[in-house]
Formats: sequence, C-alpha cells, structure tokens
Amino acid sequence: MPEPVVENGGYMMAAYIVTAVILLAYTFILARRTRNKHD
Amino acid sequence: MRELLWHAWLIARKDLRLEFRSRTALASAFVFTALVLVVFEHGRDPTAVPTIDLAPSILWVTFSFAAMLGLNRAFQAELENQALDGLLLAPISRTSLFWGKFGANLVFVALVQIVGVLLFILFFNVPVWRVWLPFLLVCALATVGFIAVGTLFSAMVVKTRFAELMLPVLLLPFLLPPLTAAVAVTVKLFAARPLSESAGWLRLLAGYDLAFVSLTTLLFPATVTE
Amino acid sequence: MTLAQRGRWTTIGALFLLAGIYVRALRYTPVEVHQGLAQKIFYLHVPAAWSAMLSMGFVGLASILFLMLKDARYDRFAAASAEVGTVFCCVMLTTGPLWARPVWGTWWTWDARLTLTLMLFFLFIGYQVLRGAVTDPSLRPRYAAVVGICGLILLPFIHLSVYLFRTLHPMPIVLKPSAPSLPAPMLVTLLLSFGVFTLLYVGFVMQRYALGEGATDA
Repeated sequence: MPEPVVENGGYMMAAYIVTAVILLAYTFILARRTRNKHD
Repeated sequence: MRELLWHAWLIARKDLRLEFRSRTALASAFVFTALVLVVFEHGRDPTAVPTIDLAPSILWVTFSFAAMLGLNRAFQAELENQALDGLLLAPISRTSLFWGKFGANLVFVALVQIVGVLLFILFFNVPVWRVWLPFLLVCALATVGFIAVGTLFSAMVVKTRFAELMLPVLLLPFLLPPLTAAVAVTVKLFAARPLSESAGWLRLLAGYDLAFVSLTTLLFPATVTE
Repeated sequence: MTLAQRGRWTTIGALFLLAGIYVRALRYTPVEVHQGLAQKIFYLHVPAAWSAMLSMGFVGLASILFLMLKDARYDRFAAASAEVGTVFCCVMLTTGPLWARPVWGTWWTWDARLTLTLMLFFLFIGYQVLRGAVTDPSLRPRYAAVVGICGLILLPFIHLSVYLFRTLHPMPIVLKPSAPSLPAPMLVTLLLSFGVFTLLYVGFVMQRYALGEGATDA
C-alpha cells in the first residue's frame, strides 16, 4: 500500500537532492579536469 | 562455405584434441559443477522452498560458471609460443578460426551440461525426462547465445590485465537475456506447462542467437587484425 | 571558445534549466493521486534513463563508425559517451529505488526494467574497465568498439524481456502506440525534463571529449 501523500515527500526530496548532487559533482569534476589540461 | 566449415572443424578438432589430452579444463568444470550442485543440495531446506522452484536457477547458474571455465581456456592456449599468430598466418579465414573456437567451446560446454543435468536429476529429482526434447532445445538455444559472445570476448580479454576477471565482468549483461529466458522456460517445462506458454521466450532466444552469432562472426576479425 | 569551454557553458546552461525543472515539477505540477509526492521522482528518473540510453546508443554508433572509418575521433567520442552514460546511470539507479520504496514497498526488485538499468550500468563499467585494462594502445579502440557495438545490440533484447516478464514496473504510459495517457501538465514537465537532460548529455560529452585530446587516454 502506498504511504499517505504527506509521508513519502521525504523520498521525493532525497531523490531530487541526490540527483542534483550527482550532476553537480560531475560538472565540477569535468570542469576541474578540463581546466587542468589547459594549464 | 564448405571450405569455411571444414577449416572451422579443423580448428575445433585441434582444440578439442588438446583438451582431451590434458583434460584439465574439462575435469575442473565437471568437478565444479558437481561441487555447486552438492552445495545447493545440502544448503536448501526442502520444507521451506520446493525444489522445483529453485532447481532451474541452480542449474543455469551452474552452467554459466562452468561455461566461464571453458571460455577462459579457449584462447589461453594460443598465448603460448605465439600460437595465435601462427593461426592467423595460416591460410584459413578469420571466420573459420572464430567458428572453430566457437564450436570447440560449444562441445566443451555441452559435455559439462550433460554431466550437470545427470547430477541434477540425481540430486534434485526433477522430471527432466518427460520434457527432454524441449529442454534440450532451450539448453541449446541459450548456450549458443552466450557462448558466441563469450568466445568473442575471450579473444580480447586474453590480451588484457586481469584476464580471468575481465571475462565475467564483460559478459554479465550478455548472459542476462539467454539465462532469464532459459530459466523461465525451464520452470515452465518442469511444471508441465504447455510449450506454447514459452513461445515468447523461445522466440527471444532464437532472435538473440541469430543476432549475436552473426554479430560476433562479423566483429571477430576486428579483434585480431593488424 | 574551445570545445571544453563551450561544453562548460552548455552544461551550466543546462543546470540552470534543470533548476527550472525542479521548480516546475515540485511546485507547479499536480500531485499524482495514487503514488503521492514520490511520483515526482518520475520527472528525473525517466529522463535520466533516456540520457543513459542515448549515451549507450552513441557509444554503439560511434563504435560502428570507428571500425568502418578508422577515425580515432569516433573512438574518443565513444569513450566520452560511455563515461557520461555512467553518470546518468547513477542518477537512474539512485532515483529508481527511492521511487520504488514508497510506491512498491521495496528498494529493489529483480523485475525486468530495473534489471535492465543495472545491466546498462554494468555495460558502461565493463566498457571502461576494458579500456583501462588493455595495455596495447592500438588494440584499445578496436576492443572497445567491439564491446560497444555488442552492448548496443544487446539493449533491445534486454528491453524485450520487459514484455515477457510479469513486472511490478509501470507499463509504458508515454512511449506506446496510442496517445500518452499522462495528463497534460505532467506530460509537459516530463518533456521539458527530457530536453534538459539531453542538453546536459551534450554539455558533458563536449567537455569529456575535449579531455581526450592528445591524451593517450582511457
């Protein structure tokens, strides 16, 4: 049975945060690697 | 075409002869199969899970591991004394070489599977003989599929570091369709379901085999050309 | 502007647009009745899956072109696409369970779709591990291309398993022959998200490709 609406918001927030973290982390990693190349 | 097959047969015969002389890989595959089946036999609680539910998965896991043993062996032998270069210089096509290796691998795995199924019937008491023909068909279809990919990959992996580890890592996703199909159909067969229920899975297996035997044959030359 | 710089700007642009998607999905898209708030993970999970598939598609395509035309740039593109695909797979594999848990009651199930996402991840990892493990630099692009092509052809077969297995996974409601059965505001959010994730793919690949320049790399 799905949990009541108000209770599964936590999962939603977790997913949105994790996605942002992964994508931002990769962005920084790439930016740093490409910057190093041009030194 | 005839020449192609003849050359492939020569290669396969050479490999099989080599294997039967030393019998190391074959022996270890048999022992391994028996070991896995014994472990599963003793590990399960017959009152908890009916054998018939577990049996197909156990069987196919055993087959895949045994196949890995065989696949590793395939190009390993050619590493010594640059035997592979010798083979490549010989007046046979790359395709014959591939099909020869593929054929030898199939025979190897088929032998292990036969022993495996016999032990399997012995330990798990599953009604294989009633459905032996469809069961044979499923085994053949599934095995052809993943051995084709396995043969191609083993040709490459032999040139890498951590060769024995690389093969399972690379092969895992490719095992999934044939193995899940094989297990699904085996479950239905042992449960005495009509074959028509497995039609979709069998079509998947046939399609997979067609696609990957062609593809691996096409790609093999890229792994050995200079 | 160099390729790396253009890639960086594209990525940053895409990230701003992603923030916009976040706002739209969280605030301005209706809540789904049966699944509740957790359903909104859909707007990230599905586009991530799309980007991962796109990545794999390009790895395969570039691999075919490399073997046919022997141009090293295709190999570089394939390597870039594989790395980026891995990142999107990570998003898929984290958002998937986070969506599954509240809606199905379990973090993971070996149903066909989830298994497909995991296999895709293993394909990307295997591809990159192989690149790292091949010591001969002339062999590396060829071996990688072989695996890349096989991986691409594998996808439809894994996907076909979806329709053969009884599965917990929602049956396709967007990409199916009849019209999508998603209500309009949700569909719009989803489509916008697809666009943003595609743009992200482009930005990432541009930078990763630029990195490959001159390097005897993996």
